[in-house]
Amino acid sequence: MTRTFKIGVFDDEGKFLTSIKLLKEKEFLIYDVFTPYPIHEVFHLMKRKSRLPTAAYFFGLFGIIATLAFLYYTSVIDWPVVYGGKPFNSFPSFIVVTIIVTILTVTIASLVLFSARSKLFPGRENTIFDPRATNDKFVIVVDNDNQDISNARRAEIVMKEQGAIEVLDKEFESVKA
Amino acid sequence: MYNRKIRGPLIEGNKTLGQITEEIINPLDVRPGLWWTIAFGIASAAALFGGYAIYITVNKGIGTWGVNNSVAWGWEIVNFVWWIGIGHAGTAFSIFLLILRQRWRTSINRAAEAMTVFAVISAALFPALHMGRIWLAFYIFPYPNTRGPLWVNFNSPLFWDFTAITAYLLISVSFWYLGMLPDLATIRDKTASRLRKTLYGFFSLGWTGSSRHWIRYESLSFILGGIAAVLVVSVHSIVATDFAVGIEPGWHTTIFPPFFVVGAIFSGFAMVMTLMVLIRRIYKLTDYITDNHMDAIARILVFISLIMGTAYLTEIFIAWYSGNQYEMFTFFRNRITGDYTIQFWGMIVCNALIPQLFWFRKMRRNWKWLLFVSLSINVGMWLERYNIVVTSLSKDFLPSNWVSYTPTIIDIGVFAGTLGLFGVGVLLFMRYIPMLAISELKGVVHIGNKTED
Repeated sequence: MTRTFKIGVFDDEGKFLTSIKLLKEKEFLIYDVFTPYPIHEVFHLMKRKSRLPTAAYFFGLFGIIATLAFLYYTSVIDWPVVYGGKPFNSFPSFIVVTIIVTILTVTIASLVLFSARSKLFPGRENTIFDPRATNDKFVIVVDNDNQDISNARRAEIVMKEQGAIEVLDKEFESVKA
Repeated sequence: MYNRKIRGPLIEGNKTLGQITEEIINPLDVRPGLWWTIAFGIASAAALFGGYAIYITVNKGIGTWGVNNSVAWGWEIVNFVWWIGIGHAGTAFSIFLLILRQRWRTSINRAAEAMTVFAVISAALFPALHMGRIWLAFYIFPYPNTRGPLWVNFNSPLFWDFTAITAYLLISVSFWYLGMLPDLATIRDKTASRLRKTLYGFFSLGWTGSSRHWIRYESLSFILGGIAAVLVVSVHSIVATDFAVGIEPGWHTTIFPPFFVVGAIFSGFAMVMTLMVLIRRIYKLTDYITDNHMDAIARILVFISLIMGTAYLTEIFIAWYSGNQYEMFTFFRNRITGDYTIQFWGMIVCNALIPQLFWFRKMRRNWKWLLFVSLSINVGMWLERYNIVVTSLSKDFLPSNWVSYTPTIIDIGVFAGTLGLFGVGVLLFMRYIPMLAISELKGVVHIGNKTED
């Protein structure tokens, strides 16, 4: 399915942020915005939130419980061996391994979740709306199809007024993002 | 708060965003100079020598090393601890400074992390070889086996060490790679070459710089940074417990874990400084890695050097204060005086005295002095590990066990090999990966510039 987008390109962070603010105020549909570096105000304006920290917390909880359970199983239940007169369940000396394995679990699981949620993995080709967005331009992509065409036109006017260096319509065969 | 009047701009030269991309990607586009080819040749030769030494070690056994029944840990453990130490700073640099929100790290973290990865790979080689039969190295994994199943000893620091290093390697690589994604995408979108577009496109995982990507990226970096900070401290404390649980005089002390961690950060920062001094001169990146950056690292080094000096004195004091004749002997007859005086005093001079030069502003801002001091710290840290490993083992409780230790050509070969491996890794990194984190630099370029206030 072909979709059309209105792409506004800015070379100034301030103008770019004001445009997002105005577009959002007028409730035009912004598909997404692209920047060369993370800008916290953008997250705020676009109402982007990440639940990765919560997920990471649960990965950590899982890591701790799983590691301690494994150590308990191997050292107490499956094949108990006395090392240096310590009890089978020598909890204090299990802590080191538990911490490290937990950290590793959180890292790997968070990475996998990040990759899955952001759809970033080797060989993936997400739609590049404007290749300059990874270099020095700030890009706003307005969805033309899912809103009234007059809205999209007015969005163009807003972006031009705010000092976009370029606003144009582009068609994409299929959009991956 | 960043005080511009005191610190000046973080990045000099009023760069535009496009300029940053241009100047940092440039070294990847132009053919490297002759120095690169020569350095690469030397590093590869060293790596080949190491390959030969490893072949002999695996083929004939560790009897080809200089180790013996008394000095059962020789150069290999010295080198292992040394490399792990160097491998620490990279992440200490990017992670501690990330969490402390020190924005000046942005110019240095990429190279420091690259260094970490190669140093940890070099380090991991030594314990694996030291196991003797490297083809059975997988026995260290706690996997269900047909021998019982007989599990590994989870109470042993040697096993903790294995866990810590494996985790550390995987996490440093992840952290490094995650940080690289936006920059790989930048190269993908800028390059004219088809091959590069495909390759960097593949490795950039489809990064577009969308706000959905950035929010998760930011949050993931903080998660990884936050939890890996624990690792920076824990890995070298665990290496220290390898020694501290041994009853050898000179090892059996509670000061070891903090002492090792500080030492690791010391040697790592010194190696970062060595590399940065060279990179900023060769690639003319002085606008990004400014004199202020080098000054900051130098200040950290002089501070850590004082901690190291204090730790050496504490060890000696406690040896005397404990009233233990074996401790007394090790420190006063086998380190301060005796067969290993050169190593001991070399360590004191290189680690505790020479870095004091950094009290002077002129020294902190002269690249020759920076290079000299950072290299001498690297040597000093190697000598420190030599002192700990060899002097304690060579003369312990029973005089009939006393031996001296000399490395063989194979020992030297393995060490040279890891130096070569590290060199090859760093040189390839300089050639194919942007040396500074482009996207992060763009985020801090305004800091301390006139437009700010």
